[in-house]
Amino acid sequence: MAAAAEHAPPTAAPAAAPARRRPMAEAWALMPASGRVGLAMLVVYAAVALTGPWWAPFDPGKIAAGPPLSPPSARHLAGTDALGRDLFSRVVHGTGAVMWMSLSATGLAVLAGSLVGLVTGYLRGWIDEIVMRLADIMISIPPLIIAVLVIGAFGNSQTVVILIVALLFAPRVARVVRAATLGIVTEDYVTAAVLRGESALGIAVRELLPNVTGTVFVEFAIRSGFAIMFIGALGFLGFGAPPPTPEWGVMINEGRRTISAALWPVLAPALAMAGLVLAINLFTEGLARVIGRSPGPATH
Amino acid sequence: MRSAPLLRLLATRVVLAALSLLVVSVVIFWCVEMLPGDTAQRMLGRDATPEALARLRAELGLDRPAAERYGLWLAATLWGDLGQSMVADRPVADWVAGRAANTLTLAGFALAIYIPLALALGLLSAAFRGRPLDQAISVAVLLGMCVPEFVTGLLLVSVFAITLDLFPPLALIDQAQDLGDLLHILFLPALTLAIAMTAYAVRMMRDNLIEVLESPYVRLATLKGLPRRQVLLRHALPNALGPAVNVTALNIAWLIGGIVVVETVFNFPGIGRLLIDAISVKDVPVVQAVALLLTALYILTNLLADIVVIVLNPRLRAGA
Repeated sequence: MAAAAEHAPPTAAPAAAPARRRPMAEAWALMPASGRVGLAMLVVYAAVALTGPWWAPFDPGKIAAGPPLSPPSARHLAGTDALGRDLFSRVVHGTGAVMWMSLSATGLAVLAGSLVGLVTGYLRGWIDEIVMRLADIMISIPPLIIAVLVIGAFGNSQTVVILIVALLFAPRVARVVRAATLGIVTEDYVTAAVLRGESALGIAVRELLPNVTGTVFVEFAIRSGFAIMFIGALGFLGFGAPPPTPEWGVMINEGRRTISAALWPVLAPALAMAGLVLAINLFTEGLARVIGRSPGPATH
Repeated sequence: MRSAPLLRLLATRVVLAALSLLVVSVVIFWCVEMLPGDTAQRMLGRDATPEALARLRAELGLDRPAAERYGLWLAATLWGDLGQSMVADRPVADWVAGRAANTLTLAGFALAIYIPLALALGLLSAAFRGRPLDQAISVAVLLGMCVPEFVTGLLLVSVFAITLDLFPPLALIDQAQDLGDLLHILFLPALTLAIAMTAYAVRMMRDNLIEVLESPYVRLATLKGLPRRQVLLRHALPNALGPAVNVTALNIAWLIGGIVVVETVFNFPGIGRLLIDAISVKDVPVVQAVALLLTALYILTNLLADIVVIVLNPRLRAGA
């Protein structure tokens, strides 16, 4: 995969270029094979999240669906946990909760962060100065420590987890989008819009936004990978979704108590989580190459 | 005259860091206020009389307004008085200091594994770029980035503690008799932290080294006929160190959260585990002290990283 990245042959055949520009087809043609694999995996995960509850063989909370801590078999594809619950069904049912929490948290963060980044990058001046200093302060708070405190204070619920993760990620997104905006704000089409007398918000949404969409997409993709691991860690620590939800981090925490007897209760949700993060990482790299932007510095 | 903008830039960062710490102290105080349950009730038990509860509240200062209590707490903390634990009836400062020493030992061990490992893997993958070794390292790094640290830790426990019985599954540091014992007990948690940090660093180092290897002066060194090893270690490596320092600072900042998770995996009596335990029993002074300490460390790490980057980078210095 890395070798392919090295040479990065633009697989888009110019001969086959359609008369009208079709951005989606073009993006697909430019996407490296690893990115396509990532996207295909994401589609499978999304399908499981949406349809899983209808075809999962067991109810995720059904105790003694089989003998406790049994290894994978035809009846229990991923074995059972200490309470005899079917691990495969639990992982399938958890997919929806995991994807909903991480994607909506990231979505909120990207929405708010992009708006703030666009407006401050366009306006500059003292508003920019104040908002960015505030963002700096928010970024200088250790995410896990503050998340654990806030969730401890307001109770475990999916809403609290989503909101705190969004709040932690938003200033980081704002900083990146602001930097991208600063790079295009001196272009002629922006000056033209200013001369036409358009409002700041109008210029931000109509002129600037379409030109930083690439950055925003890549930012969304990177952050959702982090969000899955972060929410997983919160669940593992007991600060994630409340217990009956078969969230993967919570399952891993439950499974660790019986790890000397059976690895499956840990391995099944862990593999699901790693697969999802891998899919997102592969897709992000492909997307970044299509857009011509490096995926950025790797921060955890 | 030339150093004035640099000094101003550094001063801005220091003021900003102090401001951050102040804001965070308010957030911490406010969150701790909101923790469910009443401290006086918890201390006296269910069948305490209302009079006794009122007396204890007055004694602990719980009946005063929140702003006043925040001021008192901040002042006491600045004087080094962290108060008394409400659950364990012992001075918070001693408790936190002991746990922090454990955590620092673990973090130091993790860094001692991480730094040479990341350097070696980064150098090897850049030197053998595109060849099987580089591809193997790239795949390992990608996997390392996709597996969260609590999973890595549990997998290591499963293989090296339970199946092979080489290391203890729980890192009970207090049972260590000597240094060898200590390293043996701490090896798995330290390795867990090191793996997560290495994955991020190797990737950055590799890209950077490759860029440096393609620069004219490295090509000149090669054309002069210097041996490859010397070109790599003497000419390329020093110029790729700046970004490596930067990613290490990011990693140390990550470590402050990562340690909370890994200490939980290994039941390690460190400061991160203390925070989680104290939140669940609502031991207010302990939560406040540990949260503030970890935040201060995080802010300080980022401040130091900023300063190092500014001082090392002539362009940033001039452009300030």
